[in-house]
Amino acid sequence: MVTELNEKTFDAFIEENKVVLIDCWAPWCRPCRMIAPIIEELEAELKGKVAVAKLNTDDNQGIAARFGINAIPTLLVFKEGVMHEPLVGLRPKEEIKEYVMSL
Amino acid sequence: MDIVIIGAGPAGIQAAIHASRGKAAVTMIGKRENSAIFGTHVENYFAIGGKANGSEMLDVGIAQAEAFGTKHLEENVTSIIKSENMFTVITENGSGITAKAIILASGVSRMKLNIPGEKEFFGKGVSYCAECDCNFYKGKRVAVIGDESEAAASAELMTQYASHVFWITKDTRTSDVMIKKAADAGVEIINEKASEIKGKENVKQLVLTDGSAVDVDGVFIELGGRSSSDLAMDVDVLPDADGTVRTDERCRTSVTGVYACGDITGKPWQIAKAVGQGATAGLNAVSYVKGNAGE
Repeated sequence: MVTELNEKTFDAFIEENKVVLIDCWAPWCRPCRMIAPIIEELEAELKGKVAVAKLNTDDNQGIAARFGINAIPTLLVFKEGVMHEPLVGLRPKEEIKEYVMSL
Repeated sequence: MDIVIIGAGPAGIQAAIHASRGKAAVTMIGKRENSAIFGTHVENYFAIGGKANGSEMLDVGIAQAEAFGTKHLEENVTSIIKSENMFTVITENGSGITAKAIILASGVSRMKLNIPGEKEFFGKGVSYCAECDCNFYKGKRVAVIGDESEAAASAELMTQYASHVFWITKDTRTSDVMIKKAADAGVEIINEKASEIKGKENVKQLVLTDGSAVDVDGVFIELGGRSSSDLAMDVDVLPDADGTVRTDERCRTSVTGVYACGDITGKPWQIAKAVGQGATAGLNAVSYVKGNAGE
């Protein structure tokens, strides 16, 4: 299971992990359901290299606003606490993997 | 109804021909103009010497299916409701058709408008999914672009969130029911085409082809009817991230009674593959609705 973040755990997760990939989703978003299996696979495949988590933007609207999210799915990417260009929309698994590994 | 086929391109038409010839009661729902071969020339399909007119092929194919008993509705499907062993397909005119089996043959979505600013502002005010992103536009001004049912439904939905909703539609091709619902919800309909999306960090303005502009925070591009992926998910079939619906060699999806054929099942996006799968889906769906265990 991929860790679900919230307002309380979000910042600590970014601080504690070197490279972080966060799948921002919402229950009514169908493309989010399509990307979910990929995120689960990436969590397993990138274990030890990239910390993968999910964020429900419906329950955590403050975080969504803080990072200017206005389309989902959005994948937020951080390295050593610094935010990099997010990936917006459905993306193939290999593209996501290559992007986070290239940071 | 035994079988409802969604999509009226080569895959859907071939499925209709085989299913009707198999004595099933078949309704095929889809607009010819939404087929990938509409308005094109075909030269790589069996027994075509030279070039064939794609639109004419559709006309001949639909007439052929109708001659075998298929009922064709020139409409978009707006949703499918799944109940135990039955499916109810809702069209843009608001009618519901119940069937024992569904064949998904609605191709792949071509969602891009290809106007300046569209790519640049994707995720910064440009969205292709009102249903996904409506919540981010509470109290804001938005424009929905598109001429068909999905644009009408999205514009109506956005009125529940945005402070003002423009629907930009020049050649409106959806039912009066859907247009009225959008208008009654307070949507401002502008009969013009969009030419450019402007902004700085985020979207600020949508420019129209007559030179006028509307100030908006969001632009929703909702072309065509409801996407194949959305319709698949209506019946609990989860497509891959690229929209592909997986099938077995009988064109069965992961859900009993739901078949898929043509471009929706992945590449190659070719007529030859589409009609081959259409025949397979049509025949297997007939076996299923007639209760033949071996299909």
